[in-house]
Amino acid sequence: MDHAVVSGHQFETSTGIDNRKLLMWVFLASECLFFGSLIAAYLLYRDRSVQGPYPDDLFDIPFTSVSAFVLLMSSVSMVLALASIQRGDRRGLQIWLFTTAALGILFISGQAYEFTEFYHHGLTLDRNLFGTTFFVLTGFHGAHVTVGILILLSLFVMTLQGKITQSESLHIELAGLYWHFVDIVWIVIFTLIYLIQP
Amino acid sequence: MRINRSTLSRAVYAALLLGLLALLLSGCDTDTPQNTFAADGEVARDQRDLFYLAMWPAIGVMILVELGLVVILLRFRRRRDDEVPAQVHGNTRLELAWTIAPALLLLVLAVPMMSLLFKLGEEPKDDAFIVNVTGVQWQWLFEYPEVQGPDGQPLKSAPGDPLVFPAGRRIHFNVTSLDVIHSFWIPRLGGKLDAVPTRHNRFWLKADEPGAWSGQCAEFCGKDHALMKLVAEALSQQDFDAWVDEKLAGIKTSSDAAGAIPAAHPDGVN
Amino acid sequence: MAAVIGQRRSGLSEALRSAREAATGNNIWSWLATVDHKRIGVLYGFTAFFFFLLGGIEALLIRIQLITPESEFLNPDQYNRIFTMHGTTMVFLVVMPLSAAFFNLLVPLMIGARDVAFPRLNAFSYWTFLAGGIFLNASFFTGGNIFQGELGAPDTGWFGYSTLTSTKFSDGHGVDFWIFGLQILGIASLAGGFNFIVTILNMRAPGMSLFRMPLFVWMTLVTSFLIVFAMPVIAVALFELMFDRLFDANFFNPAAGGNPLLWQHMFSLFGHPEVYILILPAMGIVSEILPTFARKPLFGYPFVVFSGVAIGFMSWGVWVHHMYTTGLGTVANAAFGVSTIMIGVPTGVKIFNWMATLWGGAIKISTPLLFAVGFVGMFTIGGLSGITHSMVPSDYQQQDTYYVVAHFHYVLFGGAIFALFGGAYYWFPKFTGKLMNEKLGQLNFWTLLLGFNLTFFPMHMSGLLGMPRRIYTYSEGQGWDTWNLIATIGAFVIAFSVSVFLVNLVLSIMRGEKSGSDPWDARTLEWSLPSPVPHYNFKEIPHVHSLDDFWHRKYTEDEAGRPIPIVAGAAVDDEEHDGHDIHMPSPSYFPLIASSGFPVIATGLIYHTALVPVGVALLLVGLYGWAMEPATEESA
Repeated sequence: MDHAVVSGHQFETSTGIDNRKLLMWVFLASECLFFGSLIAAYLLYRDRSVQGPYPDDLFDIPFTSVSAFVLLMSSVSMVLALASIQRGDRRGLQIWLFTTAALGILFISGQAYEFTEFYHHGLTLDRNLFGTTFFVLTGFHGAHVTVGILILLSLFVMTLQGKITQSESLHIELAGLYWHFVDIVWIVIFTLIYLIQP
Repeated sequence: MRINRSTLSRAVYAALLLGLLALLLSGCDTDTPQNTFAADGEVARDQRDLFYLAMWPAIGVMILVELGLVVILLRFRRRRDDEVPAQVHGNTRLELAWTIAPALLLLVLAVPMMSLLFKLGEEPKDDAFIVNVTGVQWQWLFEYPEVQGPDGQPLKSAPGDPLVFPAGRRIHFNVTSLDVIHSFWIPRLGGKLDAVPTRHNRFWLKADEPGAWSGQCAEFCGKDHALMKLVAEALSQQDFDAWVDEKLAGIKTSSDAAGAIPAAHPDGVN
Repeated sequence: MAAVIGQRRSGLSEALRSAREAATGNNIWSWLATVDHKRIGVLYGFTAFFFFLLGGIEALLIRIQLITPESEFLNPDQYNRIFTMHGTTMVFLVVMPLSAAFFNLLVPLMIGARDVAFPRLNAFSYWTFLAGGIFLNASFFTGGNIFQGELGAPDTGWFGYSTLTSTKFSDGHGVDFWIFGLQILGIASLAGGFNFIVTILNMRAPGMSLFRMPLFVWMTLVTSFLIVFAMPVIAVALFELMFDRLFDANFFNPAAGGNPLLWQHMFSLFGHPEVYILILPAMGIVSEILPTFARKPLFGYPFVVFSGVAIGFMSWGVWVHHMYTTGLGTVANAAFGVSTIMIGVPTGVKIFNWMATLWGGAIKISTPLLFAVGFVGMFTIGGLSGITHSMVPSDYQQQDTYYVVAHFHYVLFGGAIFALFGGAYYWFPKFTGKLMNEKLGQLNFWTLLLGFNLTFFPMHMSGLLGMPRRIYTYSEGQGWDTWNLIATIGAFVIAFSVSVFLVNLVLSIMRGEKSGSDPWDARTLEWSLPSPVPHYNFKEIPHVHSLDDFWHRKYTEDEAGRPIPIVAGAAVDDEEHDGHDIHMPSPSYFPLIASSGFPVIATGLIYHTALVPVGVALLLVGLYGWAMEPATEESA
């Protein structure tokens, strides 16, 4: 990330919000349109598949509820990670960062398991509209989670090297914003795609 | 020098505008095969009249703005290098006026627009004449569900056949495509409708008098899009009945002729 | 220094250090590693101008083909590929990046900043744009022997309507190149959009409140928001098409229940904001030129700002007017007909405000002003034909005819391109210290005005006479011959005019008349700086006290409100300054390295997956190096 152009750490922005934080907000706003379009395509094509398997045949709501809960908990640990570094607790930061990444990995493993299960029941990208829209939507979400995990792990390594101090808590805050966003997107996907069946 | 150039630019602008206007007018009444001004049916005529309703004010505004710009440039040109005009920052009342006035004017235009729109969207009545139109790279196929052949199948056209229908009646078209998106268009009878795979789009046209018109595909549909044309023939009811009898007689004698045409069904794609 | 080099400190970090040092002079390395917004602007400008020439040549080929009925200059396959590339090029490789060039050159100067918020992200935007442009055009070579006229470019139109873009109806790799090319260009645009939003919101000089920003900055802000929200929509549509083509997914497969209109909805939902992405920057440029040359402030600044913002919002609610004939139904068409009518209102407001700006002014007739006035005149015609389009039933006749081609060329050429030429003449002195030649400039303007109208006005007529778009041939007796002949002649007049510009550009760069820092007696902050602008822009960050701050440093008002020049004139920042104590961001090669990954990944996905990891590696190396190197280094 670029620092503010003018040297010196006391540079103030016109809005008072750090450049990088504003960038993250705008980026996430843009991402809303990205996921919005994907979700819209899924909803538009819901019940339009001309051959099975259909969502009812495959969705394992209890399983996906657990993995959604795992992702939700990772947001909690992310909050705790940020809170730790903001009060200067680097040990706490390490623990909670690692927990968040681990929960993320657990979620992704669940998704990998789910994809494999669906595949074995005959659902592929080219099988029907459900397969097409489901895999592309959840796949892009999974890719976002994976990127998030990589960021969290990089930050974790940096904390081990002692590179993240209380005054640089912004790094954690930015990663947190991204992580919460990805989490919220999953809540939307889980609700609209898994829970609300017509 | 200055006067020269300004007279010149004035002349250029005036000539340009007048020339364009003259060109525009000269196009309206030529009897070319796809001239949208030379309307031969109710739909095309209504559409043309609605277009005039928007076009004439638009031309008026265009002339006002262009002349206005020329006049302003001539009248307010800088005469001395150190000339500094009064710093007028705006005039809220004036600006509100030229925001609200065009908005109202345009909303007035929306009224005839809406009424024609809903008229063109009218559904077929019981005695309507229906034609199924299917676009397929790069030809048009027609099916007449009103006209039952001896085998119980509706009468179908062979590739390259003209579209034939009775004059003086609303003809309702069901338009679809077997491959890519096409657009069904007979300009002198009325505006177009896209032929979209999986969809059956409906609209109606009407020919005032018997006659023949050319039409062509208006949505880019691949290599020979430019060659995807059609001929539409409106016959008097009498001639049309005779044409139907002749066609049905043809089916009796060579029963395989119609079988060559793919059915207009969306699932035929892929 | 010499001692350090002699010691050969270890490995990679030393190599990086010396590479960075090589980039501090004025050599080729310095351009490859530059993070200076002005240089990036120049790169954007020249690259986009090159693509403009390319797209122009494609346009000439189209016009030569259509000069007579039944012409056999091009075969249908060549014609379809060339018009597809013409449209794609002009939208994504010319007008958008030319606007980006002006954003880069001007926004930091206008808001009193030393650079954009993220200089390396900015370099990344440019290199990604270049990579996308080259990648897209490389498709020409994939069709066999290009010298025998076997072209490989996409052949489905710049709008790429499904189902024509499926592998079934468009084999070969043209469409794949188109998908990935646009995807790469989208990344470039998004990065630029993010950067300018943050720059404008966050980097304004003290006192530069939002309503003291020059109108161009406002239009940049609105455009950037449109980019940030519209690009993801087209990105998803392109991803869906990619999955269909490469992995047999079913998004647009009717046999599997897919709906071809989904593509049109998404493309138009992106496409209409895109139209304003193309035109709002031009409106911004004109809103700077007119007040300067009339020596009057912009008439009704808040109205012009709000109408621009209103256009930005409304542009999301009119997309179905691209789809009136797709059979969405009367109610949908009626609703979008009305919204389309209403978007004419804020546009009309701007035209009246520009005329009122000129009214009562002291107008200096020179090239930038002529282009700006040309913009107002031509854009008005395009806007008015747009109003006729909003009459849905009569638009049924005009949809997909040359009438539409005429309409959007009046908006995008008569509009955007005229303004961009005007902007080039207007700001050229700021970045070169030289004026462009006025006589050649006027020749450029008048021939362009003539050629433009000769080319595109007849298209209204051929369209109303029933000539569809995108046809490679037509038969005699349709009444289209004369109009097409005139249009082709006009196209060559445009070509002549553009050559005049090119000559003027080269001559003026080589030996243009010295301009001084403020040749036009302008109003905005950039003119308070020396020309060419030093690399650090502002020796001291200015304090802004009003709209048109620089003007108010030059003129005061007497009791009657008449402006009188301040005798000493403005304190232009002219004195020598070595900028030693100003730490500017260091040059970096990493944005270039990261960007170069994209076309490699794309080529890999199209031809051989083994290339994908190579591309990803390039991207990651670039991003990693970028993240790890310090943004600003103390100068030695």
